[in-house]
Amino acid sequence: MNPLLSIRDLTVRYDSRHDKAPALRSASLDVSVGERLAIIGESGSGKSTLALAIAGLLPRPARIQGSIDWFLPLDGKAPLGGRDIGFVFQDPSGSLDPVMSIGKQIGEVIRTHLGLGRRAARARAAELIERVRLPDPRAVLNAYPHQLSGGQRQRVAIAAAIAAGPKLLIADEATSALDTIVQAEIVTLIRQLVAEDGMTLIFISHDIALAAELAQRVAVFRHGELVEVGETADIVTKPRTAYTRSLLDAHLGLDAAPLLDLTPPVPA
Amino acid sequence: MSAIRRFLRVPEATAGAFILALLLAMALLAPLLFPGDPQAIAGAPLLPPFHDWSLPLGTDRLGRDVLAELFHGARTSLAVGLAAAAAALLIGAVVGTLAGFAGGLVDEVLMRVTDAFQTVPGFLLALAFVSVVGPSLGVVVAAIALGTWTGPARVARAEVLSIRERDYVAGARVIGMHPLEIAFREILPNALPPVLALSSVIVAAAILTEAALSFLGLGDPNRVTWGGMIAEGRTVLRTAPFLSIVPGIALVLTVLGVYLAGEGVVETTATRRGLS
Amino acid sequence: MNGPLLAVSGLSKHYRRAGKMVAAADDVAFDIQPGQTLALAGPSGSGKSTIARLVLRLIEPDAGNIRFEDADFLALGGAALRARRARLQMVFQDPLAAFNPRATVARVLDDPLRIHGIAERSERPRRIAALLERVGLPTELAQRAIHEISGGQRQRVAIARAIATKPSLIVLDEAVSALDVSVRGKILELLLDLQREEGIAYLFISHDLGVVRAIAHRVAILDGGRIAESGDARAVIDVPRSAIGKALVAAAPKLPAPARTAS
Repeated sequence: MNPLLSIRDLTVRYDSRHDKAPALRSASLDVSVGERLAIIGESGSGKSTLALAIAGLLPRPARIQGSIDWFLPLDGKAPLGGRDIGFVFQDPSGSLDPVMSIGKQIGEVIRTHLGLGRRAARARAAELIERVRLPDPRAVLNAYPHQLSGGQRQRVAIAAAIAAGPKLLIADEATSALDTIVQAEIVTLIRQLVAEDGMTLIFISHDIALAAELAQRVAVFRHGELVEVGETADIVTKPRTAYTRSLLDAHLGLDAAPLLDLTPPVPA
Repeated sequence: MSAIRRFLRVPEATAGAFILALLLAMALLAPLLFPGDPQAIAGAPLLPPFHDWSLPLGTDRLGRDVLAELFHGARTSLAVGLAAAAAALLIGAVVGTLAGFAGGLVDEVLMRVTDAFQTVPGFLLALAFVSVVGPSLGVVVAAIALGTWTGPARVARAEVLSIRERDYVAGARVIGMHPLEIAFREILPNALPPVLALSSVIVAAAILTEAALSFLGLGDPNRVTWGGMIAEGRTVLRTAPFLSIVPGIALVLTVLGVYLAGEGVVETTATRRGLS
Repeated sequence: MNGPLLAVSGLSKHYRRAGKMVAAADDVAFDIQPGQTLALAGPSGSGKSTIARLVLRLIEPDAGNIRFEDADFLALGGAALRARRARLQMVFQDPLAAFNPRATVARVLDDPLRIHGIAERSERPRRIAALLERVGLPTELAQRAIHEISGGQRQRVAIARAIATKPSLIVLDEAVSALDVSVRGKILELLLDLQREEGIAYLFISHDLGVVRAIAHRVAILDGGRIAESGDARAVIDVPRSAIGKALVAAAPKLPAPARTAS
């Protein structure tokens, strides 16, 4: 497959003091065009730092070493967030303007990156609302973020992320704040949109089972380092590292052995 | 401590802190450098500044040492400003916390009282209070606090209303904590930062109000105040303008210093919150 | 005590939202036996957190009865309610939000001991150390600030605080949802240990059926403020009958079985 981007020895520090461990330590990873890659890890694993670094969204004090090379026809320019990369955050309220109607917010992305007029942008926004399967697109266009549920807001955030037709979609814990039913719906939606538009997907998650359901490849991070990366089936069935094994064991699926011992308790 | 270092990295904070430190030094050193009564006659009247080095800033209409008066005036200004602001913040924080936490009728009554105080201009209230009770340092402090506690009360109430809904307050109820302990031990300390952010404005306003009261002759007659000095100088404004200008500059610098330091504190806490 | 530890019946709570009355709890009834775990599961907005807060009297119901330890829990007020709270504790989802941001571990554990007069001032440090040990934390942690310790440690402190007053029932509101999976397993084991040794009952609120199935005796599945179905936790989750139960089971993330992924 054709490469989309190549990360080499990427180290990111938020704290300039060297006695503190970097958030990400010499990570190297290749992403191919059109693939669905999951990046999983627990808190402090550096998975979100990696996502932000790829999207060029790291906060200013962060210090970056190493390289991220893109194989996009950009004339050597860095890819642009919003146009070339769509980003979906965990908390949609954080990325949506509370006092701007949904139609305006999505329209703004379209006008900025595609140079469409106001009317055309609004029509395009309506299409996008429909694509993310929000009921009653016309009402949603005029609605404000607080009038929507968490799941609906996340759909709007996804619509805004794909509005300019990015090559790469990054979803950073995009379903973690949602309940299981809505989470499953959003995952299905992402899978569909990625397939229809031929986008590359980087799916950041703490949930190895959820990641395995969606991704073709899984990269496991821990304490800022890449632990292992491989085909989903291999990672899930024959992990090479003890850490991945422990993540799989800790997953409490509906078929897991119960922790509760049902023999009646001995009265004290 | 790193908080102090962060504070001093903000340029206006450094400037403000410098002015306030100077003022504090003046206030503290006044009885050492100028022992005795600053209102005593020290030389010939209306001596201009920089003529006699034993009286560097000259003398006023009655021949009192202007520099000594300036130093002793700093004591009054600072004492009244800080005491009035502290009283206003204390009353405001307690009223606001009770109103916000209790809700219902208590909230309604306390906030209507707050409204009533807010509809009367603070300076008018202070003026009326001092005229009725009579001028003394304590009365001036109370008068100023009476006109300024409403701002902190409103801010405290708004903050308490939002904190009241947090999990840790529910947690305190679950372990059976008494409502008054929840209000004053769990909620109030966490509601204080935005209230304290008001303190620079209140201290500055209190210092100005004190000066204005003294200017109108309603200050403590037994103490030198900057407002009183300006009033003194007013009668000879054409012949000896420095008598009004010198305490005027001191007043302006003090208020500026308080504002700048307050701004610095707000800035430091804001950046710390932003980073964490 | 005869009969259930907690018996809830006809519990209702309505909220006004955009001019309409919305039922957060609608005629809810359930029992919890001493030393057992009842899980309340359901999607967001199904009313599970509202029910938890009603049971704890953090909010007051519009209608219904709550009997706790053979007494009418809703009839209690003031000092009597505060005293009875010792027996009915809670652990929150976000252990950082659940503590006063200025608190230290020692203070957090000192409060319940002081309020309920469980130990004299001089004896409390020893009690605090014992509580920390009981939940698997080093006793030196007592002097640390809450915001300095890790998320898993905080949730252990929350559990230590909940058991400080020797409760018979602890409400766990999504208590393991925000934790890393590796930490989650250890916290669940600690909770089961405590249940075995102290006979504590749990009302376990969760949207995660995998966790519910692993640790609960019984489950009630909620939808729109009503109980859609209830019963033995494993029986209900393995073969759900209600629409919402089926939807929750279908939506739970599943690790691909080796045979399927190999192809």
